[in-house]
Amino acid sequence: MSEREPQPGYEQARAELATVVERLEAGGATLEESLALWERGEVLAGICQRWLDGARERLAAARESRDAGTG
Amino acid sequence: MSTNAPVPPATTATTPATTPASSAEHPWPVRVVSQKIAAWIARLGWVWVDGQVAQISRRPGAQVVFLTLRDPSADLSLTVTAHRDVLDAGAPNLAEGARVVLRARPDYFPGRGTLSLRADEIRQVGLGELLARIERLKKLLAAEGLFDPRRKRALPFLPGTVGLVTGRASAAEHDVLTNARKRWPAVRFRVLAVAVQGPAAVPQIIDAIAELDRDPAVDVIVLARGGGGVEDLLAFSDEALCRAVFAARTPIVSAIGHETDTPLVDYVADVRASTPTDAAKRVVPDLAEESRAIAVARARLDRAIGALLDREQQRLDAVRSRPVLARPEVLLDGRTGEVAALRERARVTVAHRLDRAGTDLTHTLARLRAVSPAATLARGYAIVSRGAAVLRDPAEVSPGDPLHIRLAGGDLAATVAPS
Repeated sequence: MSEREPQPGYEQARAELATVVERLEAGGATLEESLALWERGEVLAGICQRWLDGARERLAAARESRDAGTG
Repeated sequence: MSTNAPVPPATTATTPATTPASSAEHPWPVRVVSQKIAAWIARLGWVWVDGQVAQISRRPGAQVVFLTLRDPSADLSLTVTAHRDVLDAGAPNLAEGARVVLRARPDYFPGRGTLSLRADEIRQVGLGELLARIERLKKLLAAEGLFDPRRKRALPFLPGTVGLVTGRASAAEHDVLTNARKRWPAVRFRVLAVAVQGPAAVPQIIDAIAELDRDPAVDVIVLARGGGGVEDLLAFSDEALCRAVFAARTPIVSAIGHETDTPLVDYVADVRASTPTDAAKRVVPDLAEESRAIAVARARLDRAIGALLDREQQRLDAVRSRPVLARPEVLLDGRTGEVAALRERARVTVAHRLDRAGTDLTHTLARLRAVSPAATLARGYAIVSRGAAVLRDPAEVSPGDPLHIRLAGGDLAATVAPS
């Protein structure tokens, strides 16, 4: 789970996040594994949120420049 | 006027046998050259010629009338001379611009070295005949495929430059420019002014189309002319013009006369506009209409992407609100209890073991004390040893050996006395 690992795309991150949650909810993992899973889940949720926030920012910027251009 | 007798055509050589070939040393005199030219020209003999009268000069009192006869499709002309009687017999009201068919033979004037056609019969071609010719030409061009819809090129959606061929400062020019700019203010035009009727019209229009066709910036060419009489529009049914329009690589829009006028060029053109105003609508899109369509498309785009983002946010929120992610403490709660219980068990077990160990020790001490020699020593006994060995027999020692005596109260050192 190195930080240097290339960031997954939105759909990939979302799918992996769902898997992590299912494994956590199923139980049976060792505590160390559980903690690692939870940390991975937080990282993935953060990636998904950054994707969504970035998309919204790009939309807002495009709208702004469009309004400035045509207004 | 010359009255040269016709010279029989040479049949075997280009110069009559009577004249030696010319050279720098033996040049021919002008009169010989003139005579030879006259002989060559006379070989054409009588021909029927179709042309358009570009100029006519009837000098009062003169018996000979001079005509400039033009090819209707090309910038070519010949001078025709005719006796006044010939003209009066065949075409008494002949005017400039009229189509004629005449019988003539070439005539060379040695005095000035000029050439003309001498006509002995002139017939003016009437409108009915002209229209009949156009009908025949229409069938011919249709048969050749010049009207084939599959050969027509599509107009560009937004042309870089629009070429316009029309009369100078004409209403047609104004209509095309004004209406096109109203629809698309940034439209660029390259306008070539031409004669749109009369003898010069066809060659000028053909040249203008060729020039615009060569210009890479021109993406569409409009050929526009306002309404007029049937004779005024004849140029736009000319065969050479039709073929030039067909051959052009740039799409051509024809906008000739009114809705009801259909000169042949209308059939050949890639798009037939009913009027110059209609042509303007065909060549450029309507800016306002396009802008509206783009605004509608953008609004739909915004809604679609907005809905997608909202949906994804909801999905992400749902996953993040699950207890295992939202409150990771639940992962630890159970484990903490387990650890406390184990620790307690460990403590109890160890305490129990300590107690038992204490009891064992007491017993062992008692037993230890029971077997101890201390009580025997207290009663007055002693343990004598030499080095580490306890002595049980006097024979084990010799005089002078050091002895170690252990008493109840402490230790004594002694030496074996001499015997």
